[in-house]
Amino acid sequence: MGVVIRNLQHVVPVRRARLRKDVETLRHILGIQKFDVGLICVDNCKMQRINNIYRKKNTPTDVLSFPFYEDLRPGKLPCGLHRDELNLGDVFLGVEYVMQQCKGTSQDFHSTLTVVTAHGICHLLGYRHETDEEWKEMFQRESYILAEFNRLTGSRLEPLSKKYSQES
Amino acid sequence: MVGWSFGKRQQRSRLGNCRNQTTTMLKSISRAVSIASRLTNKTATASATRTVEPLVRSALCLPNSAPIRPYTRSIWMMCNNGAVSGYRPKLFSSKGALPSSCGCGGLHTEGDKAFGEFLNDEIKEEKKIQKNKTLPKMSGGWELELNGTEAKLIKSLSGEKVTVTFNVNNSIPPNVEDEPEQGQKSAENEPEIVSTPNFVVEVTKSSAKQALVFDCHFPEDEQVAHGEGEEESDIFTIREVSFQPAGDTDWKETSYTLNTDSLDWALYDHLMDFLADRGVDNTFADELTELSTALEHKEYITFLEELDGFVKCN
Repeated sequence: MGVVIRNLQHVVPVRRARLRKDVETLRHILGIQKFDVGLICVDNCKMQRINNIYRKKNTPTDVLSFPFYEDLRPGKLPCGLHRDELNLGDVFLGVEYVMQQCKGTSQDFHSTLTVVTAHGICHLLGYRHETDEEWKEMFQRESYILAEFNRLTGSRLEPLSKKYSQES
Repeated sequence: MVGWSFGKRQQRSRLGNCRNQTTTMLKSISRAVSIASRLTNKTATASATRTVEPLVRSALCLPNSAPIRPYTRSIWMMCNNGAVSGYRPKLFSSKGALPSSCGCGGLHTEGDKAFGEFLNDEIKEEKKIQKNKTLPKMSGGWELELNGTEAKLIKSLSGEKVTVTFNVNNSIPPNVEDEPEQGQKSAENEPEIVSTPNFVVEVTKSSAKQALVFDCHFPEDEQVAHGEGEEESDIFTIREVSFQPAGDTDWKETSYTLNTDSLDWALYDHLMDFLADRGVDNTFADELTELSTALEHKEYITFLEELDGFVKCN
């Protein structure tokens, strides 16, 4: 079981090996190594189209998650699954959007991409941020994940500070 | 110059043989359909689209002439006197041949004359819709060498030489789509013909005696639907990787060939990053298809012109 990475865009050079390595660390922290996860890197045009189709928002965004299991309690992994059901879903990464944000804040692109990916995986695990309470729960979870990530890798990642309004 | 016989390369691996033969067969079928679609396309549009029409039409009509049966009929029918219609061109009869005054010694039939006129029209139409009169340039400092339908893109960087080779023959994938609605075939719905050739990347370091060779493909994504469907394949994929002696034109069959079908995904990502660092990335792949499409169209027009010359007078 593993991580499937697809790069459908050519606007931003994406280091696939770096992304995979970081995501494997996140999976280890979250205890989801036995689950498949799909990561699809897209540009603003494609992200906008997907956002419009599935959320009726005609704008690009940084991440959209499509959980395989739509009714998970936050952080509760499904159990007793057949091998074919060990799939958490897909995370679409708006790499062009993320790159534009990084240029504005002088942050490292691939580090930010890892943070965004962590956020997307949390959505696959049932975390939401539609209410303040949900956002607080998700923020705490992300903070824990990234703190552990930093401890293991020596990085200095931080949760993105803005309040997300996207639904997964 | 480092290089291998391109045809030889396509036959090299055990698994590759089956896949390549199937792929070659599929591409041959697609080529037949593509040729048929070009030869029957009479639509003059500003866009670079061509009509994909049935291989055989029920009848062809030239202006102010009797209906002429398509040339795909069997010879038996053409020689048979049992007729459904009155027109029966004779293939092996002196009555059908026009007087040959050019002295070329070739056969000149009424069919040849009609064929030549048809080709004239086709050539004009194809030149009208030709997107690029000159071949598009690749970004990234690639030098282009052409040898008929084979193209080589070469680049040197920091002691390494990178060569990308592709052939536009059999490079247009079959366009599998739903049947068009009855009587609804507008120019806007015609599929655009895009050439997506397999390409081979050779990386040679000046100090090494071997070249690292990547066989790359454009995936034929069957998940693409019209409308809301989204493509979810990489723009190009690596199929096989092998070391080959640098400077040797013969493919070394005894070199291990890594097939990516069952490869560790992390290793695959490193290989993709390796290529990207040398300029073979998604941007390159997109530009390569533009170049290949333009080259394929140019070669097709040249072929039609040569065919026209051959039919008229050799």
